Order: sequence, then structure tokens, then C-alpha cells
Amino acid sequence: MRFEAKRCGVRFNPPSIVLVYVNTETKKLRKRVIPIRNFTKLSDCCMAAEQLKEHPRHRDYLEAVSQGQLEKLHILLQDHLRGLSLKHSLSTFHLDPDEDLNKLDDKELARKKAQMDREFERNRKHKDDPGFVYDLEVDFEKAPQENCSWDESDDGF
Amino acid sequence: METEEMAGDVDHTFDLEKKKYDAEENVKIICLGDSAVGKSKLMERFLMDEYRPQQMSTYALTLYKHTTTLGNKKVLVDFWDTAGQERFQSMHPSYYHNAHACIMVFDVQRKITYKNLSNWFKELREYRPEIPCCVVANKIDADLKITQRSFNFAKKHGLPFYFVSAADGTNVVKMFREMINRALEYKQNPSDFMDEVMQELENFDLEKKEENSDEDGLKAENLELV
Repeated sequence: MRFEAKRCGVRFNPPSIVLVYVNTETKKLRKRVIPIRNFTKLSDCCMAAEQLKEHPRHRDYLEAVSQGQLEKLHILLQDHLRGLSLKHSLSTFHLDPDEDLNKLDDKELARKKAQMDREFERNRKHKDDPGFVYDLEVDFEKAPQENCSWDESDDGF
Repeated sequence: METEEMAGDVDHTFDLEKKKYDAEENVKIICLGDSAVGKSKLMERFLMDEYRPQQMSTYALTLYKHTTTLGNKKVLVDFWDTAGQERFQSMHPSYYHNAHACIMVFDVQRKITYKNLSNWFKELREYRPEIPCCVVANKIDADLKITQRSFNFAKKHGLPFYFVSAADGTNVVKMFREMINRALEYKQNPSDFMDEVMQELENFDLEKKEENSDEDGLKAENLELV
């Protein structure tokens, strides 16, 4: 790998993705600003990220940056075009256990689900994994049971 | 061409819905719970290779068909999943129609999904006062300590409670199998329907009772003729 990506981020004006990397040959720390063109409020962020990742002029620099991360950066740029604040935009990537997800629109719910999917995949047991048991049963009845605080202060729940 | 056929199948399914659920070996099980509690993930884990959801966008629901054998009887199970309709905090009445059991799911990492169970349960009981129902605490893989807690909601309403994980599979198959059994039991002895019959019977007056006994007499005569 000729370029070792260190950090990446966005610049809103003009819409660009900024990459800080080390050139492994010269050991020099460099910054690369990649302008994002022909990108609108309605563009498909996933596709845009894929195209950037494959872009002949940028792909060597972006080798160590995942497509998922590039997609997230595109979403931040797009949210800005849609008039959302950066704070709000970032919060859509963060799981707040007290947030009522029933109230989100499709796009924002999809982002939360993507976050949850990462946790899901981390703990997922696949059919082909050694020791996989289809009908895995664990009896939790024997465990000492404390009352859950969620049941406290309840309004006739 | 293929999609057209599929769409045809789907319509067909709906047309025959009533008839199909009257057959003893068919049951309908519905899932309830907030957005992103893992309802579809649970279905996927249970069905594995059989997992082939039919998205019914016009009805805002997802249907999964499952075939299993209980004893020597083949049982066809239709699982209904909400497909985003839960966002309205309420389901269309057709979702509850003719359901034989209900699986209510919450996410152990999000209190609000637990608190909302009471709304889901209330709506369920408006449409289906008696069908078997259970409470499922999903995503225990994210925090195993949660299994040392007791959640009062299920106990309070006399509902079976399961700690499960769609990710690692804990208790998923057990829960679904038990619910299929309970749906079948309910279908064979549907107390909701019996309630209606009892009410009808109470409304009968004496005259009708007399008519009934005449009918019995007639039957007896016929028997003698044979």
C-alpha cells in the first residue's frame, strides 16, 4: 500500500472529501482534497461512494478507507445540501437508547438500523460456523432475578 | 413475467385467506413491536434457508410462509410482519384479522420499546381478546446481564416471556415452536369464537328453544325412517 490513510472528513464548500494520509515511500504526511461533483440532495450516496472508491485518480489513496465510511461522508455532504445542521446529521449515526425510532423517516431509520446491524453482525453466529446450534436453548430462569428498573415509576404499565 | 406470476400468487393468497385459515393445518401468527426491535431478524433466524419474505407493499406487511410437521400432521404457518406500518403506532385491523397467535418483541437496549408494549398489547386485545401471546426480549447478546432482570409486563398479563437473540440464536427456535403449538391449540379450541357463540345462545328466547326441540324431533323421525 503506497498511501496509508490516517483520517478523513468533509469540507462543505465546495463539497469535498478530505483525506489525510502518509506516503509510505517518502514517510510524508499529506492532505488530499477530493472535490465531489455532480452531487445533489437526491443523489444515491451508496453509489456515489462506490464510484469514488473505484475512481482511477483517487482509488489508490482510498484503498484503506472503507466504502461504508465514504458513504457516511457523502451522507454528511448531502444532509448539508438538504439544510440539516452537522450536529443533527451526526446524531443520526449515533444510537440514542431513549430515542423513539417509530418517529423517524425512512432514511434516518435506515441509518439507525445500519448501526444496529453492525452490532448484530459482530455477535452473529452463522450456519457454517463451527459449533452452530440451530435450536440453541438457554434457561435463564435459574439466574438470580432482580426487578428491572424499567418497571419502576410506571404509569399503570 | 415471473414477477407477474408472483403478484398473482399474492392476490390469490389473499382471496383464499378466509378459507385457508379455516383448514385445521393452517395458522396465522402475527408479530408486533416498535421499529428496529429485530422482528424480521428473528424471522430470518428461525426460517434460515426457508427465509423468503413476500413484501406486500399495498398492505404494508411482509408475509413469511413456513411449513412444519407436528406429530404426523403437516402445518402451514403464515407469519405476518409489520414492514414499517408500526411507525403509525397502530396496525390496520386486517393485520389482526383471523390471527391465531401473537409474538410481541422489544429491544432490551431501548426502554421505550418495552414501554410501548402496553400500547401494542392494548390494540391486540381490542381485536383479538383471547389469542395466545408472548413477550420476547431481543438482543440479549448485546448485554447478557439483562437476563438477570425480571420484566414485570409479561408476568402482569400472564404471558410467557423469552430472552432471545436473533444474532446468536438463543431461544429463537424454542420460542417460535412453542408459539406455533399454542396457535394450533387455540385454533382447535378458539375461545374468541366460543365467546361469540355463547353470547348468541344467551340471546335466544324460549320460543327459539322450542323450535330447536322440534327440529330434534324431526331428526329423530328421519332416523327411524332410515
